[in-house]
Amino acid sequence: MDPALIKMALGGLAVLGCIGLFFGIGLALAAHKFAVKANPKVEEVLEVLAGAQ
Amino acid sequence: MNIVIRKCLLAAVLTVLAAFLTTGCATEHRFIKKTAFKDTNQIVIEFAGPVDEAWAKNPSHYSVYEKPDPDIKLKIQTITLSPDRKTVALTFADPLNQNQPHVLTATGITSEGKSLGTAILSVKKVYLGYLFSILIGAMIINNFVFTKYLGLCVFFGTSQKKSTAVGMGITFTIVIVVSAMMAWFLYQFVLRPYRLNFLQIVVFIGLVSLSVQAVDTILRKVNPMLFKAFGVYLVLVIANCIIIAVPLILADNEYNALESLMLALGAGLGFLIALFLMSSVRERLELARVPPTYRGLPIAFVVAGLFALAFLGFSGMSIF
Repeated sequence: MDPALIKMALGGLAVLGCIGLFFGIGLALAAHKFAVKANPKVEEVLEVLAGAQ
Repeated sequence: MNIVIRKCLLAAVLTVLAAFLTTGCATEHRFIKKTAFKDTNQIVIEFAGPVDEAWAKNPSHYSVYEKPDPDIKLKIQTITLSPDRKTVALTFADPLNQNQPHVLTATGITSEGKSLGTAILSVKKVYLGYLFSILIGAMIINNFVFTKYLGLCVFFGTSQKKSTAVGMGITFTIVIVVSAMMAWFLYQFVLRPYRLNFLQIVVFIGLVSLSVQAVDTILRKVNPMLFKAFGVYLVLVIANCIIIAVPLILADNEYNALESLMLALGAGLGFLIALFLMSSVRERLELARVPPTYRGLPIAFVVAGLFALAFLGFSGMSIF
């Protein structure tokens, strides 16, 4: 294998990994900041119902 | 105190962003003041100072091509230098297609015996008009639904009622603008410098789902009413192929930030127009006496074909 190609592939992995990590953390922070309080009873009631549809 | 610092930071970030957006990544040369088209077959270059006549008159120092085809160099017929040696007019053998930006390379500019390096310039028509023509082009003349047949599944799925159609159109416009701007930024500043162009599809798909997820999360908290109105369409946007076509087009054409914004806005508004037109017709079709075999989707496809024919009337139109 051409070392230049390997270098490009590794660089790509690193760069895309960084982008993914950055946006992942960003989304997690956004989800934390803009969290909406859901009523836990809604889940419980849905659990008890038949839920075929 | 804290708030003041935060506001300053925000302002700084916005200014940097604005600077990025206005300058784009143009590779302008500081010795060249202006380039413009003149008549049908001339390009005029205005220099900041006098250039040497021996350099300016040599046609091998210039190479010009139309933006999409770098291999086809345009033939330069004559070169005229103004008496003050500040403006050079290149006359071409054939008329130029001024709707396309041209790329002009001037190698080894020399002024008063000093070499000033090579300049790669793009020659464009008056800028605002050019932006407007991209917007109208993406919106009507090359409408993504009716002339490129993209995004049909969402188009037929959500065009039964006018209210849902408009809701989908607006959601789509917002998401496509956000994701196209992010795609432009990543393409220009990450993918291209690292020579990762071949990964663009993967990255753009990720960006689309990212922006949909972000809009979903933020809207749920900030404006629950709007979130309810958008409902399921927000998630459906991911399944639309216009939203992946736009980043690919703007990466292919090397658009700058404003041009990309216009393309994305045009694509979104074009989709909104298409959905609105289609839903108005389909609402009336409910009352029409359609043969039973044609009811529902088949007649909708026939109507879409008629719309496509009507939109064909715009094709080949050029603005300005």
